[in-house]
Amino acid sequence: MNVEIVNLRKHFGATRAVDDVSFAFSSGQIVGFVGPNGAGKTTTMRILATLDEPTAGDALIDGVSAVEEPESARQLVGYVPDSLPTHRDMSVHEYLDFFARAYGLKGARREKVVEGVEEFTGLTEIRDKMLVALSKGMKQRVSLARALLHDPQVLIMDEPAAGLDPRARIELRELLRALSSQGKAILISSHILTELAEICHAAVIIERGTVLMAGAIGDLLTDGASRRTVLIRALGGQETLYRELLETPRIRKVNLAGEEVVAEIDGDDQACCELLAELVSHGHRVVEFKQQRANLEEIFMTVTKGETQ
Amino acid sequence: MTAESILKESGARGGFGDRINPIVVKELRQAVQSRFVIATLLTLLSIQIVAIGIYILASGASLFGFDAGRQAFLMLFSILQSIGMIFAPLYTGARLVAERSDTNVDLLFITTIKPRSIIAGKMFAAMTLTALIYSACMPFMTFTYFLRGIDLPSIFISLGVGFVVVIACVQAAVFVALIPVGRALKVIFGLVALIVFGVAYFVTVFGVSDLVARGFVTRVSWQLVVFFGVLVVFLIGLFFVMSVALIMPVASNRALPVRLFITAAWLSTGVAALINISIEKDQRVLIAWLVAFEIVFAMAIFVAVSERDRPGRRVLRSIPRSPLGRALAFFFFSGAANGLAWASVMVVLTLGVAVACVELFSTHRNTNDLIDSAKWMGGMCLYFFCYATTGALLRRRLFSRVGTELTWLIGAILLAVGSLAPFLTGYIVFFHDQWWSEDFGAWWVGNPFAWGNKGHRVLYASVSGVWAVHVAAMSLPWFFKRCEDFQTGATCRKGGGTGSVSDLSIDQEAS
Repeated sequence: MNVEIVNLRKHFGATRAVDDVSFAFSSGQIVGFVGPNGAGKTTTMRILATLDEPTAGDALIDGVSAVEEPESARQLVGYVPDSLPTHRDMSVHEYLDFFARAYGLKGARREKVVEGVEEFTGLTEIRDKMLVALSKGMKQRVSLARALLHDPQVLIMDEPAAGLDPRARIELRELLRALSSQGKAILISSHILTELAEICHAAVIIERGTVLMAGAIGDLLTDGASRRTVLIRALGGQETLYRELLETPRIRKVNLAGEEVVAEIDGDDQACCELLAELVSHGHRVVEFKQQRANLEEIFMTVTKGETQ
Repeated sequence: MTAESILKESGARGGFGDRINPIVVKELRQAVQSRFVIATLLTLLSIQIVAIGIYILASGASLFGFDAGRQAFLMLFSILQSIGMIFAPLYTGARLVAERSDTNVDLLFITTIKPRSIIAGKMFAAMTLTALIYSACMPFMTFTYFLRGIDLPSIFISLGVGFVVVIACVQAAVFVALIPVGRALKVIFGLVALIVFGVAYFVTVFGVSDLVARGFVTRVSWQLVVFFGVLVVFLIGLFFVMSVALIMPVASNRALPVRLFITAAWLSTGVAALINISIEKDQRVLIAWLVAFEIVFAMAIFVAVSERDRPGRRVLRSIPRSPLGRALAFFFFSGAANGLAWASVMVVLTLGVAVACVELFSTHRNTNDLIDSAKWMGGMCLYFFCYATTGALLRRRLFSRVGTELTWLIGAILLAVGSLAPFLTGYIVFFHDQWWSEDFGAWWVGNPFAWGNKGHRVLYASVSGVWAVHVAAMSLPWFFKRCEDFQTGATCRKGGGTGSVSDLSIDQEAS
C-alpha cells in the first residue's frame, strides 16, 4: 500500500493554500506532517480524505485517485479530524454503531466489528457512556475508533494529540504504534514535535503550502544540521582533552561539564569518525563518544520562518 | 426473554435493521433519549387534556349543540399544529446546525452514505417524530367526534393536511440550517423562517377551519385540497433537493438534482395545468403555474451566476460522452454558464407555453389575465437577468478578488440601487408629492416589480431589452469559453493534473 501526494495544489482565490506538494509513504509507516498554523496541512489531509478537490495534482492511495475516484478511495482511508465528536444524546456504542451502518456493515458482522474496535481502542468499559460526558482523551479514542471501523489501510489524523493530557497522549502513542505494526500507513499532523519524533518513522515539514523538508526521521535529524554535537568521556585527562579540542580547527565550540566534554564539530558523520580516530591516536582513553542529535523542534525552527498566508 | 433477544435470535432484527437508513436509526435513538422531546410531548398532552377539560366544563348547555365537536376539534387542532410547526422544525434544524458546526457532516461524506440519504434520513426521522406527536393526540381529536358537528373523515383529512404542513416546515428548517453562512446570519434566516411558519400556521388553521365548515364533499373543497397538496409537495421536494445540494461537497455536481427536480416539476405540473385548461375552459391554473415557475427561474438566475465558474474534475468526470448527452448535460450540470443557460431557456419556454395557450385557447376564461401575467413575469425575469449578469460581469472584470459565490450579492446591490435610485432621484428633484400617481411611473424604470404600471411597460421593456442585449453580448465570450471548456473537459478529463511522484518519497528502508 503506497500513498502518493503528487504535485498537489489548492488555491482559494489568490491564496495558495497548497502549492506543488509532493511526498509519498507506505504501509507500516507513521509519517509526521509538521508545519505552522495555515501551512496547508489540513487542506492536504482533507484532499487525501476525499473531502476537498485540489486545483491541480492528485492524491493516490494504492493507485486509486482520491480526486477522481473518491468512492473507491474512501474504502481505503480513515480520517480523524481535528475536532472531536459532539453528538448529543448518544452513547459511545451508538455512535460507533451509527458509523458502522454508514459504512455499510450489516448484521452480526457490524456488531463484531464495533465490539472489536471498542476493545482495541479501550472503549469497552465506557461504551454505554454518553459522548458529551467523555474527556478529551476518550473522545479522541472514539474518533480514532470511528476511523477504524471499515479497517482502512491508510489513517489520516489531524492534530490528534491537541489538548490531551500526558496520559492520554501516551495511550494514543501506543495505539498508533499498534496500528503501525498492523501495517497501516499513518499520516499524522501535530504541533507536539517531540512526540512526533518518538513515534514517527518519517516527517514532512511544510510551510506556506510548500514542502520544505521530507524524509526519514533519522535522516532529517542529521541532514538538517551542517554540524554535529558530540559528548566525549575519557578516562583521566579531561583538561588535556578539553585543551586539545580547543585547538582543533574544525571544532567550533567546546564545553567542559564535569566528567564529560561536549564539542560542536563542523561537518557530518565522517567528521565525527575522524575526530574519534584522532583522539584515540593521540592517546586519549575514550570510553564514551556519543553524537547528540538535533531534535525535530530544532530542525523545525531552522527550516521554517513562521510565515503563514 | 425480551423482545429484542427474540428478534435477535430469529435474525429479523438484523435483516430489518440493516435496511433502515442509518441516519434514521441515529436520529430516533437520539430523540428517545432527548429530554427536550419527552418534555415537549408531555407538555402537549397536558395542554390537550387541560384544554378539552376546560372546554367541556365551560361549554355548559352549548356542549349539546350541533357544532360542539367541530369547535373542540379546531381548538385542539390549532394547539397541536402550533406545537408541531414550532417543535419539529426547531428540533430538526437546531440539531442539524449543531452537527454542521463541526466536521460531523464531513465525516459522513467519507462513509458510503449518500448526501441524499442523509437528508432523507433526517426527514424520515422528523416524520416519525411528528407522527408520534399526532398519534399521541389522536384520542383527543377523535373524542370530538362524539361531541357532534364533525365526522371522522374530516378529522383524519385535517390531521393529514396538518401533518404535511409540518413536514414542509421541517424540510424548510433543514434547508435553512444548511445554508452556509455565519451564526448571526443563520439566526436571522431562522427568524425569517419562523415568521413564514407563523403565516403558514394561520393559513393552515383557517384553511382547515373553512374546509371542516364546508365539509369534504364539495368539489371546491377537493380542488382546494389538491391545489394545496401539489403546492406543499412541490415545496417539500424543492427544499429537499436544495438541502441535498447544500450538503453535497463543493466539488460535486450540486446543481444537477435541483435542476432535474425543478424541470420535472415544471413539466408535470405544466401538463396538469394544460389538462385543467381543456376541461375547465379557464386559464387560472396556468396563470398560477406561470407565476410560480417564473419566480423560481428568476431566483435561479441569481443562484446560477454565483456557482463555480469552471466545473471541477469530479463534475467533468461525469459528463456523458455522447454529443447529445453532453449537450443536454450542459444545461443541468453545475457551473455558472450552465445555470444561466438553463434558467434562461426555462423562462423562455414557460413564456412560450403561455403564448401558445393564449393562441390556442383564446376564448377561455381569464385569457386577458394570462396575457397580463406573462408580460409582467417576462419583464421581471428580463430585469433579473440584466441585474444578475451585470453583477457577474462586474465581478469578473472589476472585483475579481470577490469569490464567485458572492456574485448574487453584487447583483442584489445593483437590483436595490436600480430599483430605487431613479425613483428617489425623481422624487427629490421633480416631484415632492403625488408620488403614487401613475404619471410618475416612468421613474420606476429600473424596478423589476413595477410592471403593474401598464402605461409605462413600453419604456420598461425598451430599457431592459437594450440592457439585456448589451450585457448578453459582453458576456458571450465568457459563455462560449465555458461551453468550450465543458466540451473539451468531457474528452480529456482522465488523468488531468497528475504527474510523477517527486523525489521526496519516504521509503520504508530509510526509516
